[in-house]
Amino acid sequence: IFAVSPRLERNGAISAHHLTNKMTWDGSYLGSATRENAQKDSKKIQKEYEDKAGRPSKPPSPKQNVRKNLDFEPLSTTALILEDRPANLPAKPAEEAQKHRQQYEEMVVQAKKRELKEAQRRKKQLEERCRVEESIGNAVLTWNNEILPNWETMWCSRKVRDLWWQGIPPSVRGKVWSLAIGNELNITHELFDICLARAKERWRSLSTGGSELENEDAGFSAADREASLELIKLDISRTFPNLCIFQQGGPYHDMLHSILGAYTCYRPDVGYVQGMSFIAAVLILNLDTADAFIAFSNLLNKPCQMAFFRVDHGLMLTYFAAFEVFFEENLPKLFAHFKKNNLTPDIYLIDWIFTLYSKSLPLDLACRIWDVFCRDGEEFLFRTALGILKLFEDILTKMDFIHMAQFLTRLPEDLPAEELFASIATIQMQSRNKKWAQVLTALQKDSREMEKGSPALRH
Amino acid sequence: MAKQYDVLFRLLLIGDSGVGKTCLLCRFTDNEFHSSHISTIGVDFKMKTIEVDGIKVRIQIWDTAGQERYQTITKQYYRRAQGIFLVYDISSERSYQHIMKWVSDVDEYAPEGVQKILIGNKADEEQKRQVGREQGQQLAKEYGMDFYETSACTNLNIKESFTRLTELVLQAHRKELEGLRTRASNELALAELEEEEGKPEGPANSSKSCWC
Repeated sequence: IFAVSPRLERNGAISAHHLTNKMTWDGSYLGSATRENAQKDSKKIQKEYEDKAGRPSKPPSPKQNVRKNLDFEPLSTTALILEDRPANLPAKPAEEAQKHRQQYEEMVVQAKKRELKEAQRRKKQLEERCRVEESIGNAVLTWNNEILPNWETMWCSRKVRDLWWQGIPPSVRGKVWSLAIGNELNITHELFDICLARAKERWRSLSTGGSELENEDAGFSAADREASLELIKLDISRTFPNLCIFQQGGPYHDMLHSILGAYTCYRPDVGYVQGMSFIAAVLILNLDTADAFIAFSNLLNKPCQMAFFRVDHGLMLTYFAAFEVFFEENLPKLFAHFKKNNLTPDIYLIDWIFTLYSKSLPLDLACRIWDVFCRDGEEFLFRTALGILKLFEDILTKMDFIHMAQFLTRLPEDLPAEELFASIATIQMQSRNKKWAQVLTALQKDSREMEKGSPALRH
Repeated sequence: MAKQYDVLFRLLLIGDSGVGKTCLLCRFTDNEFHSSHISTIGVDFKMKTIEVDGIKVRIQIWDTAGQERYQTITKQYYRRAQGIFLVYDISSERSYQHIMKWVSDVDEYAPEGVQKILIGNKADEEQKRQVGREQGQQLAKEYGMDFYETSACTNLNIKESFTRLTELVLQAHRKELEGLRTRASNELALAELEEEEGKPEGPANSSKSCWC
């Protein structure tokens, strides 16, 4: 996805369809957060590959069409032309001319070798891409024909878990997320419509400076509401700005606005909190508006998300403390290094947890984290954090506070997905025979008792 | 190899959401400006080394999220700062009104002797101005702060304001600074001043100090 952004930035806002196509062509299909039909594109790429395979020695470049008749013309050497000296100068001695010819030929041979190597590399890349596309195509079939129709019985089976870990194909991702997140809150499409209508009424009344609306959510002053609605407007333009699809005039702007507005009407006690716009945006890329709203509300209703979005500081500290238990257990050396440098988990975890990694990881990788998060719950967010720390342990142990803080709040854009998942897989979420939930509960109990004992100690 | 810096301290950017804290910072550290920046969640970090009065100062800048809800979190960072930028947007009366609240939070949570400076950002948006220049000056005077109107967009007063706050922090710590000067050649003595983050990364950084 990020490979596309320079072009997007130049063109400004473009249509969603356009973006989807471009993503596919860039080969970032595996995780691209789109709803394109995987099979269709798999075929398209397959065809593209077959076309190329007919002329394997040529790198896939638009220029090749011009030179169809030349079977293998190294592109970079076309400018290398050996010319005789101009007639008005004395001719080269035969020996020198011979030497130059020889040098010239060597250069051409070298260049051809390079080109051939490059062409082979590209061919391998293309084959790899085809292989990935094919496996995605197969996975789509499995998800659609076997798993989704038998969701209740199959979703926790070994086979499905393995397939799940490899990443859900984008074309079924939204459906799987919805099913895995569930709808404990029993939100219907009608309820979404009602909340949205109410939000729209508020926007209208604010823009006309109208009088007070019905006062059912007393305690939330008009000024607060206005500030919150204005902040939504501001934040929409600051959500994945390099994608240029959520900004004013972009294809997903209204959807994002609707979901966030409707949520503030659905949960005025929570309201809009920065970070939400990223979560809603990722959902919009995979679901229709109403379904995205249902997933959004249910997701935020989970205990960890509620604790963070309500900024329940005490509970957040408990989550950080639980994280540190597993941090020390899994990565004792790095843990000590962080302690020594006074790098507390809030400094990097706040961003990661609030936006569910969508801001700090490449978007396609973030979607894969979401895949497993939807299945395993909050524990996986903290396991991912440890996976990231483990992956970069060697680099981090050489850094001081500010470099670590900068590194962790802006992770490398080319972070390799397979390596990260391999790293996450090695993280043990057991501490002295206690699982995440048990550690968390124990810490919560401690903190409650401490609160009772000496309230002054806590903030 | 020359040492990278003599002293290290932390500056904090606070103010309402959308007043341009991140843009000010990007202009200062990278000389870049993007009209639509990604929202800051929690806290972001940048650093830059500048020279003031012949002293190489490395400043860590903590860029905080502006939404009121986040203040429970960001307030925890005040105590780690030696200098604070209070930022409002000249095209937003509300962000200016909120400065009072930000100041009272600073008084409550920041260490004593913390240096403050008031910034009225987006000075290039004259046609949208809601807060007069004199209002900013008046408020700054009330709180005994220096005041700058800045524009990250046109690069107005960015370097000046960062340099000024750095100078103020240096002045406030003149005593320790004298120590730094007289013992400039004595690396061992300096090491005692080092704080947990100021630990040497290698021989190149073996002399630096940090006040907290």
